[in-house]
Amino acid sequence: MSEPILEARALVKDYWMGAARLRVLHGVSLRVARGEFLCILGPSGSGKSTLLHLMGLLDRPTEGQVVFEGQDAFAQGKRWRDRMRNEAIGFVFQFYHLMPDLSVLENTLLPAMIRTPLVRWPFATGERRRAAQVLGDLGLAQRVRHLPKELSGGERQRAALARALVHEPRVLFADEPTGNLDSATGAEIMRVLARLNRKGLTVVTVTHDERIAKQAHRVLQLADGRLLQGS
Amino acid sequence: MWSDGLTSPAMTTALAGAALVLAGLAAVVLVAPVYKHILCLRYLFAGWKAVVPLVSALPAALGVFLLILVFAIMDGFVRETREMTRGTLADIIVDAHMEGLPYYDDFIQRVLGIEGVEAATPVIQTYAIVRVKPRVSAIKPIVRPCMIIGIRPAQKAEMGRFAQFLLRQTVPGMNADEKAHISTARYLERLRAAGYPPEALLGVPSDFRASTPARTGRRPGEPPRPGCIPGLGLIGMPFPVQVTKTAQEGTGARVLVCIMTGVAGVTLLFVWQASRRHYGRRGWRRAVLAWVLAVVALLAEALLIPVYPVREQRLEVIDVPLLDYGDDLLVSTIPVRPSGALEKEIGGMPKVSEKLLAVVDTFKSGYWEADSTHVYVDFQAAQQMAGMEGQAESGVRPVPARASQVHVKVRDPAQAGAIVQRIMDVRRQFLAARPEVGLIQLSINTWETQQRMILTVVEVERNMTALMLGLMFLGFGVLIALISYVMAYIKSRDVGILKALGAHDAGVGSLFLGYGFIIGLLGTAMGMAGALLMIHYLDPLEVWVNQTLSIDVFPREMYYFEHIPRHVSVPWCMAVGGAVLALSTLASMAGGLLAALRQPVETLRYE
Repeated sequence: MSEPILEARALVKDYWMGAARLRVLHGVSLRVARGEFLCILGPSGSGKSTLLHLMGLLDRPTEGQVVFEGQDAFAQGKRWRDRMRNEAIGFVFQFYHLMPDLSVLENTLLPAMIRTPLVRWPFATGERRRAAQVLGDLGLAQRVRHLPKELSGGERQRAALARALVHEPRVLFADEPTGNLDSATGAEIMRVLARLNRKGLTVVTVTHDERIAKQAHRVLQLADGRLLQGS
Repeated sequence: MWSDGLTSPAMTTALAGAALVLAGLAAVVLVAPVYKHILCLRYLFAGWKAVVPLVSALPAALGVFLLILVFAIMDGFVRETREMTRGTLADIIVDAHMEGLPYYDDFIQRVLGIEGVEAATPVIQTYAIVRVKPRVSAIKPIVRPCMIIGIRPAQKAEMGRFAQFLLRQTVPGMNADEKAHISTARYLERLRAAGYPPEALLGVPSDFRASTPARTGRRPGEPPRPGCIPGLGLIGMPFPVQVTKTAQEGTGARVLVCIMTGVAGVTLLFVWQASRRHYGRRGWRRAVLAWVLAVVALLAEALLIPVYPVREQRLEVIDVPLLDYGDDLLVSTIPVRPSGALEKEIGGMPKVSEKLLAVVDTFKSGYWEADSTHVYVDFQAAQQMAGMEGQAESGVRPVPARASQVHVKVRDPAQAGAIVQRIMDVRRQFLAARPEVGLIQLSINTWETQQRMILTVVEVERNMTALMLGLMFLGFGVLIALISYVMAYIKSRDVGILKALGAHDAGVGSLFLGYGFIIGLLGTAMGMAGALLMIHYLDPLEVWVNQTLSIDVFPREMYYFEHIPRHVSVPWCMAVGGAVLALSTLASMAGGLLAALRQPVETLRYE
């Protein structure tokens, strides 16, 4: 196995419901190799989205470590994690989560907008060119000025994918990327993910759909916050 | 109106502060990530939700409007009252009361040696009774208490605006507005050129004697009586008259159309959004173009409405003089001896000195107390009336002439307080050099201290109004806090997305601070523009309200001003604007904190 880009070490995550503690993850450990297409399969409520959020540095584990490119992510500062999410990580969500007030092009440019000050924005032509190219590759060239509400579900997910890819991330996290799509559109999205993976992008996806999992190099099964042995 | 000169220290400080704040704001805006600007403007002005910031900016606009307008009018009252009061007095008054100050010329020479003192003159001040025998025989003679003010006319004219308050001896062709605003030095120059040298302001013109012998009752060859200048309120009788005033017709309509243009301009935003929604991607341009044309047409109409002067009749109460120039004024005084005792007749009754004076002019300063009690006479004549002329009493050494006050003019009125302290030092040196004067009581005050009661009332009223209107901003602050909190709550998912894409907590929070700041900016801009427009058109608007609604907004006889006084203070405008901006930004921290503390996974987990 090649060098891991991401490693989860004994991750524990608790949620508090008033005074009651709810343990969602029970010491999950896994390694993701660079260029791998990993799928975490599990039923609803098994903790797969929580695991994805922890590995994507969106949430802090109660116990355990997330090692990203050799660095203990939660031993670093918050700014470092923000920078990693902005430059090295891409997210695709089940419900697209596009900004409703921004056009497709603006949504795609959002990671660049977050790291570029106003004074430098007029000169950020490279980012604009790259965004237009990614949108074109995903078949959205005619939709760049449309608002998300004017797009179909598949188009929205492709726009979300464009936003996740525009800054050329090293890892792409996809949380049920086809969960809100019909089967044909879902299959198309998965084909895109597989194509990107073939170009070298590390993809980590979670799903409860076994047909989707077949696209991955490796499938891990999660149940009740634990990875099943031998998966 | 904008009397704060650009070179005044307050203005320089205010401008420097504003420039620094603006430079700081510009730097913050330029180095902030671009997503904040784009999203902030989209949240504010995209679609129908743009109504929210516009509506929430209205209380701020109203508050700014009222604070600037009310403060400008009340500040105008204070300033004009100061000008009127100061014009009749002097910057510093050295008061020796009725005992009088001997060797006053020596004292004045010492005072003139103080750095910052421009001029000084002795003044006699004594109580008297004046008898006015009206020219109309049906009216009974009027007897009133008064204050005789003995002056050296040329020196008094240089002390303040005394010459500008005179009604007869004026520069021919100069209108009231120019007379009120010209500098004293320039006015005296023009007055001299017009044949009225300041030293002769109290002189009795020869034509008075020649043309009105019957009225003065003076026999041919009789020496002229001393001249006097009584206040118009003293020798006049209040009488309601129809006064013709010039009003600017059309101004009200122009202001209304301007307001409509502003409203149409703001609603353009909604038309734009609504037409994009309803007419599709092609048709909306036509709708917007039509609206822009409507706004331009309104603006053109506002500019084309003719504004022309019309003459209108208004009922005003004015003082009608009961005497004419050259008429006699009988003044009775009780002289006071240098020892402080009243002069007495044989038999022990106080001696009443009566003097006939010739009215050579009248004055109207606008300062009611002076206009209704003061009679200006020549310094030496007043000395005789008050018993303060130099005299040799039998058996004792000669008694020097005395002055009851010394009026001092300073170059910089702001330094008057410091110069008072130096005059106190001069007083000590003077008393040491003149031991024969004894321990005389001298009150040395600025005119402001002497007239504290009048000014304090207006100033307290102004400050209270500003405080009460300022409290209105608290309501505005709460409104902004609620709106920004609700907005941050509604936009929770956007907050989560931004954080998932790498935006910092503080950065996302400051997005909502910018939201509040722009609402404050909008309110400040609307309120300030409205207030300045209103102040600019105050007089025509007052006439328009008077004509249209029959409401006398500003009764002249009550306020004793010819027009509604106003003074726009640039530092005050900046302070009000800055306070609103700071308040709206701080209040929007409610939303900013909610956004900054929100965990992204809380909002991204579900649809």
